[in-house]
Amino acid sequence: MSPQLSTPRKVPFFRDIRTLKWALQILALLAVFAMLYWLYGNYQENVAKSSIQTDLRFLDNPANFTIPGNDLDQSQPVRDAFVEGFLNTLRVAFIGIALATILGTLIGIARLSKNFMVRTLGTVYVELVRNLPLLLLLTFMNLAVVLQAFPRIENAWLPLDLFVVSNRGIAIPWFIGSPAQLGIGILSAALLAFVVAKIRIRQADKTGKQDRAWLVGIATFVVLVILIWLLFGYGWELPYVDGRGTTGGLRLDPSFFALVASLVIYTSSHIAEIVRGSILAVSRGQGEAADAIALSGSQKMRLIILPQAFRIAMPALGNQYLNLIKNSSLGATISYFELTQIAQITVGNGSPAVPAFSLTLLVYLAISLVTSLVVNFFNRRLALVER
Amino acid sequence: MITWMRRNLFRSITDTILTVISGSILGYVIFQVFQFVFITGRWEIIQVNLKILLVGRFPEELMFLVGFSILATCFSIASLASGMNRPIDQPPTLAGKLWGLFQRFGLIIATSAFLIVLAGDMAAVLFGAYVVLSIFAGRLFGLARRNTVLKRLPGWLWVAINATLPLVLIFLTMGQAALEEWGGFLINFYLAVVSIALSFPLGVMLALGRRSTLPLLRWLSTAYIELIRGAPLFVLLLLAGVALEFFIPASIAPDAIFRAVTVFTLFTAAYLAEVIRGGLQSIPKGQAEAGKALGLSTFRITFLITLPQALRNVIPAQIGQFISLFKDTTLAGVALSVFDLLNVGTAITKQDDYLGQGLIYESLAFVGLLFWVGSYVMSRESQRIEKKLGVGIR
Amino acid sequence: MSNEVFKDASKMSGGRESDDAIIVIEGVFKRFKDFEALKNINMQVGRKEVVVVIGPSGSGKSTLIRCINRLEAHDDGHILVDGTALTTDIRNIQEIRRETGMVFQNFNLFPHLTVLTNVAIGPRRVRGLSKSAAEELAMELLTRVKIPEQADKFPAQLSGGQQQRVALARALAMTPKVMLFDEPTSALDPEMINEVLDAMKELAQDGMTMIVVTHEMGFAREVADRVVFMDKGEIVEVGTPSEIFDNPKEERTKKFLSQIL
Repeated sequence: MSPQLSTPRKVPFFRDIRTLKWALQILALLAVFAMLYWLYGNYQENVAKSSIQTDLRFLDNPANFTIPGNDLDQSQPVRDAFVEGFLNTLRVAFIGIALATILGTLIGIARLSKNFMVRTLGTVYVELVRNLPLLLLLTFMNLAVVLQAFPRIENAWLPLDLFVVSNRGIAIPWFIGSPAQLGIGILSAALLAFVVAKIRIRQADKTGKQDRAWLVGIATFVVLVILIWLLFGYGWELPYVDGRGTTGGLRLDPSFFALVASLVIYTSSHIAEIVRGSILAVSRGQGEAADAIALSGSQKMRLIILPQAFRIAMPALGNQYLNLIKNSSLGATISYFELTQIAQITVGNGSPAVPAFSLTLLVYLAISLVTSLVVNFFNRRLALVER
Repeated sequence: MITWMRRNLFRSITDTILTVISGSILGYVIFQVFQFVFITGRWEIIQVNLKILLVGRFPEELMFLVGFSILATCFSIASLASGMNRPIDQPPTLAGKLWGLFQRFGLIIATSAFLIVLAGDMAAVLFGAYVVLSIFAGRLFGLARRNTVLKRLPGWLWVAINATLPLVLIFLTMGQAALEEWGGFLINFYLAVVSIALSFPLGVMLALGRRSTLPLLRWLSTAYIELIRGAPLFVLLLLAGVALEFFIPASIAPDAIFRAVTVFTLFTAAYLAEVIRGGLQSIPKGQAEAGKALGLSTFRITFLITLPQALRNVIPAQIGQFISLFKDTTLAGVALSVFDLLNVGTAITKQDDYLGQGLIYESLAFVGLLFWVGSYVMSRESQRIEKKLGVGIR
Repeated sequence: MSNEVFKDASKMSGGRESDDAIIVIEGVFKRFKDFEALKNINMQVGRKEVVVVIGPSGSGKSTLIRCINRLEAHDDGHILVDGTALTTDIRNIQEIRRETGMVFQNFNLFPHLTVLTNVAIGPRRVRGLSKSAAEELAMELLTRVKIPEQADKFPAQLSGGQQQRVALARALAMTPKVMLFDEPTSALDPEMINEVLDAMKELAQDGMTMIVVTHEMGFAREVADRVVFMDKGEIVEVGTPSEIFDNPKEERTKKFLSQIL
């Protein structure tokens, strides 16, 4: 006596769970479109009233300003100025990321030291810097250090007789010769050194001896660079005070120095925390297992702990690098001619604001995207192979 | 003591060298700081300008609003802290309790005392007393919640009641003053509070949208979040400084504070959305299933079961976001010419009386102190909450 | 094994008071991507009947009861709960979810609500009772499962066995016609299994219709009216506890029983 199974009636669409699932979300979507439409409408209306440009034609206009430390001509189009700004941002980014990583890693390791004094120094540094706004650090670097503390050119500091430090900037010794050539040379040397190290590892694996591959690699690299240096006739140039400026060497803009210094100090405190956290995150069992097979202290660090810590730290580090790149936009507050400052100046000189700043925004987005992709690539390559 | 020193400072030759080097660096820095603060520093500039540093050119008649909102905030924080429905481990002796309070609040108390001494007038001392009173009252209110009939109040209602009064007062204050007039530390704080309050609903919606099954909605939410996260806040502020008026009807004339709040809200909402999304992802599927099995509607499941848990799980991350925002409010100073603490700090060194005397050190030191204490205390409290949330499991 | 036999399940030997079937499952299939979790399931459960479903992991027993309250959606076939057809009609689904209660393996209590609120939330928000009426009902049920003193505590403060009993009370608070149990004791420490099984036994004695997926064979022997053995998505054998445990007919049943008994 099973109950009669009536043929199921057609489910009305407004009660059908399949349509209801979408209903709310479609409503939300419509609300978003409505708002976007309203915003767009306002924009069109207001722009029409004020008759300003809204496209990118302004890029062809002459810049009407010069960039210190650069031979940009006043009459060159705005586009060229933007390119210069972009390059400056990249310069700050590369140097900033490199220095911040080195400093941050050192401090992070210091915070884990068994030595109380070293540990305290690290902790004080991190806790002090982490809780300050970046703009404060930047303003301090600029107004208090570079413009105030650094001496005037007549009384410039000459540390080690190699550098010239004044409130006009820092001049460092620099090479004479084509930078592009040297860059390629260094890259090839690095590649070759890498290959040599790999060969050495394979050799050592066969014999079971210590490979000391990193020593071999570094030695090869240094030898190759010196060879390239001598072969291509690169020279060395020391800066010296010359009237109201310096001659020779590479002069670093005071605002460049202030920007990089504050970015490095700020970011390194975050990187220190990440490094410390990632080393701690490698479970204790790993260290204990390493001890159980009698690895030495430095072997334990090098072969077991650090590789795993690096894997853990990668995403957070990538995030910090992105932050550094975005924070470089603050260079505009101290008149360093990176991308944002260029945008501000051209707008001040009459370029239409919305397209100019929107273009700037898009460039930063592009840089962020590329950096994210690179970091993700490394992330995936390093990821532990899981079941 | 000697063994401790030997183990931690002088283990080996290299160790000893490191100790000496870092010890001397630390010692030198501390010595210089002390010398600067107590001996060579010329703090007159801070004393004279204390009012504009803290509240800008806030109209005198309306200062009471500021006072009330501070008192209301202290009250609410104290009552929220002591009213949480979880057992708190209290040290047994009075001395122990005092030491615990000192550890937690010593820094704030010291800074406030310092400010009162700087201000050097009775009104400040009186206000300090009011603050202490309101904290006590708040604590009593919180304890009442834990021990009386108020215990039955659901958590969210308790938070809502406590949050309403200070938020209302803060909004009121922001509306009242003619906005070119005020600034200082107050505006950094208010900008942060208002922006994060407004960004919450948007952040929740974005988080839900990011997890939606409708591809277009998910794509739009993701696009917004990723766009904002890839953009420097400074550039967004600059853009708003010149472009915001194009997107709103011509009748509203946006001023600097309006622009700042808009950008900070839209900006924080994207970051909050990611934090909340992480929280939502951490809720096991079984929770929603249990709700479904009971017959609860999807709407009710989200807002009664899933979302409350998600928000509570990521409280530390939300506080972290607030701290970041608090520090980022300094950008409004340069981008939109808002007279925030940092802006005022640099401006006062250009006053006629103080121009060219190199007083930038004193000024930035004071600004740094206020920001540092604020951030440090908030992040320490957040760590404490994080530890507490992990407790309560049998 | 022909599934036709189950049409008159209520008349099988050892069947209890079951006038008409409260749950009818006919020709139900369920596919996950490339894998068929349920193949041609035909089953009926009579009122006040206690059916225990056993089988190896992956046999589809959890999927089956989760299809009954639509936590999973079946792909083919019909499911009827107390006369209401389980289709995509949300009204039917809500109705069926109100009339069925479920106890989960991992309890799934709401950690941010007190024990009392956990039990009261169903009657309050779904059945529309007032807060005080809902809480009164909740206290009654907590007393019934013998933990009234835990009412104001939070789930995390209770033991596993206590939590599962709260889950039981929470499901009962909706006054369901059928109770579904998805391995209710599998996540419990051994010393707490009995308190939950006792509560379930009482429930059965009070005449609740129950479908229980479990590994507790002792419980099945004592309380079940019928035992259903499932394997690889199919119902392999059905019978009274003594028929299944003492005289299994199918090879697969014998193999499974030899592995666990």
